[in-house]
Amino acid sequence: MSVTSTAGYFARRAAQRERVRILYRRALKDKLNWAVHRHIFYQDASELRERFDANKHVEDPDTIDRLIADGEASYNKWRHPDPYIVPWAPGGSKFTRNPIPPSGIEIVYNYGREDND
Amino acid sequence: MAAAARSALLNHLRVHVQAVPRNPSYTLSFNAIRRRFLSEEVRGSFLDKSEVTDRVISVVKNFQKVDPSKVSANAHFQNDLGLDSLDAVEIVMALEEEFGFEIPDNEADKINSISLAVDFIASHPQAK
Repeated sequence: MSVTSTAGYFARRAAQRERVRILYRRALKDKLNWAVHRHIFYQDASELRERFDANKHVEDPDTIDRLIADGEASYNKWRHPDPYIVPWAPGGSKFTRNPIPPSGIEIVYNYGREDND
Repeated sequence: MAAAARSALLNHLRVHVQAVPRNPSYTLSFNAIRRRFLSEEVRGSFLDKSEVTDRVISVVKNFQKVDPSKVSANAHFQNDLGLDSLDAVEIVMALEEEFGFEIPDNEADKINSISLAVDFIASHPQAK
């Protein structure tokens, strides 16, 4: 079976690898959101890594799909209601706060000293 | 009295913003000492590439699963350093925390080596 559909098989495995990577990334960030203290985060991160590593040697694509779906369901269940977002990223507090001024405009920083000029 | 009238007048004047020509090297009398800030410089500063490389290499060396002697500026995470794809995700997260960054998910998958990471961080204006 794997000889006739090799390209499809490898494409499917590559897609599964992408999904696993994105899931691991989001789960790790979620652990960082939940764990306030750094040592708790380290314990959680190593436990998450072991959960991912336990299923590392599965070869059947259907089992892998089911495991990924289970992982994404548990990630959706445990998502933090108030995640930390970097301020200037979309969703952060500084996002589009100060838009970039158009080019050619000169900005003279002399607030409070205008009368001296 | 003229000075008081002049200062009162100046307090109510509006200063027009004029577009300056592209060549910033013209001379002015008062502002020769004060540095002119054109709006291109407000857009954010890019980090120096050698400094970025040093910080990235130090982060990768502090990683537990990495042999510090193999880390060089051109090391590939999977080929040279023998890391897993999940380890690559962890390294990207450590770099995000180091530089105060946010890398979108589709870009983070493509960072597979130290040179790619350095290029990405050095070309992003908000890296601290």
